[in-house]
Amino acid sequence: MINVKNFDIVTPGELLSDERNGREGTYEENEKVYSQFLGMVQISDRGINVNPLAGNYYPKEGDDIIGEVTEVSAKYWVVDINAPFYTRLDMRDVNFRAEEGELDRYIDIGELVYARVFRVYTNNAADISMRGTRYGKLESKMVSKIDPVKLPRLIGKEGAMINMIKDETKCDIVIGQNGVVWVDGEDNNRAAALSAIKFIDEHYVDSDLAEKVRRLLEDVRGKI
Amino acid sequence: MYEERFDKRKFDELRPMEAETGIIPNAKGSARFKIGNTEAIAAVYGPEEVKPRHIEKVNKGIIVCKYDMLPFSVPDRAKPGMDRRDIEISQVITNALNRAVILEDMPRAMVNVRIYITQADAGTRCASLTAASMACADAGLPMRDLVAAVAAGKIGDSICLDLTKEEEDFHEGGATDVPIGILPSKNEIVLLQLDGKVTREELKKVIEIGKKGAMEIYELEKAALKRRFLNESKS
Repeated sequence: MINVKNFDIVTPGELLSDERNGREGTYEENEKVYSQFLGMVQISDRGINVNPLAGNYYPKEGDDIIGEVTEVSAKYWVVDINAPFYTRLDMRDVNFRAEEGELDRYIDIGELVYARVFRVYTNNAADISMRGTRYGKLESKMVSKIDPVKLPRLIGKEGAMINMIKDETKCDIVIGQNGVVWVDGEDNNRAAALSAIKFIDEHYVDSDLAEKVRRLLEDVRGKI
Repeated sequence: MYEERFDKRKFDELRPMEAETGIIPNAKGSARFKIGNTEAIAAVYGPEEVKPRHIEKVNKGIIVCKYDMLPFSVPDRAKPGMDRRDIEISQVITNALNRAVILEDMPRAMVNVRIYITQADAGTRCASLTAASMACADAGLPMRDLVAAVAAGKIGDSICLDLTKEEEDFHEGGATDVPIGILPSKNEIVLLQLDGKVTREELKKVIEIGKKGAMEIYELEKAALKRRFLNESKS
């Protein structure tokens, strides 16, 4: 017996089914499946998932993330990646030659880096690396934060939503999988893109979100 | 004898309630719960690194809870900061939340819960616990269940639900106050205190009536948590 439908919103502790078919976001007690999160139900052939509607970023190996440098030491930078724990970027893991003890010459406190998570510890702390040509320092300070669980809506099906925002605003946008979004472009365009991101953050359970965002962007541009 | 309640409620009737989530933008999760004239605001921060370091647990997370009554919440000014009573209530709320939140899923992390009472009219620890559990759910923490808490008790010879301050101070026959917190879908008691005198049989009845009241609160909590998302989908 499954007690819920697809796209139902459930609270923690709500009974989902008694068939032992719970998957992510659920737990089992006395052969019954309950929800762990305030989330949305997704039923597939393989079982019931609950996708949380709010939550924290937990690093996964291979994630591309944007972090802010909060501390510079002799051999590493300490980076805030929006996760429960601070993260270390070692001087050996960058794509340029860094001199020991002079790391602030390359990346200083308050600057942003685009990097990859390459190791995750059991307590969800992580190490990041900047090896590879696609990673590096991000110049501008224009960032916006969005709940990581809402990122799929911001990106859209095969990047449809984010490409639409890029085309409409002519901005360069980099999304970190930790929920930090970096936007670069002309001032007006940048403001438009940021307002679109904020709109998605607030209305991400809406249906036909793409149409609404398009209308919002046209509105904003009309005023300018 | 206490035959009719001061506010004309039935003996097993709750005061009018309000619940709301997402009221503090800077917190990860937040909630407001109001029952009668008692109002509690809860905010949840974290999970984050444990400070001070020595309270860290390697295999599970910890909850640090602080309950405080604001100076204007009671007729006499309450001294700001934690007094003995606040420390006790913080502790019982922490114990209750430890059962509700799945701490094993966040090793070495800490969750901060701050609760403020803006208006007090008895039953503040129950209102706080209810608000805190809603705030935890709103913050996206993994939880076994929400917590619903309500005070039940005995006034004179009658068993009552959700006592007010006026009733708690009732003299003829004495008043007994029993705060009860449960995990509604598990039917598990996570908070039970007793202040006053009851017999064994009466206590069973008091717990029975308290559980019934808590189930009502649970329905309201669920509705409040879902409302934010249902409203947005209509707009």
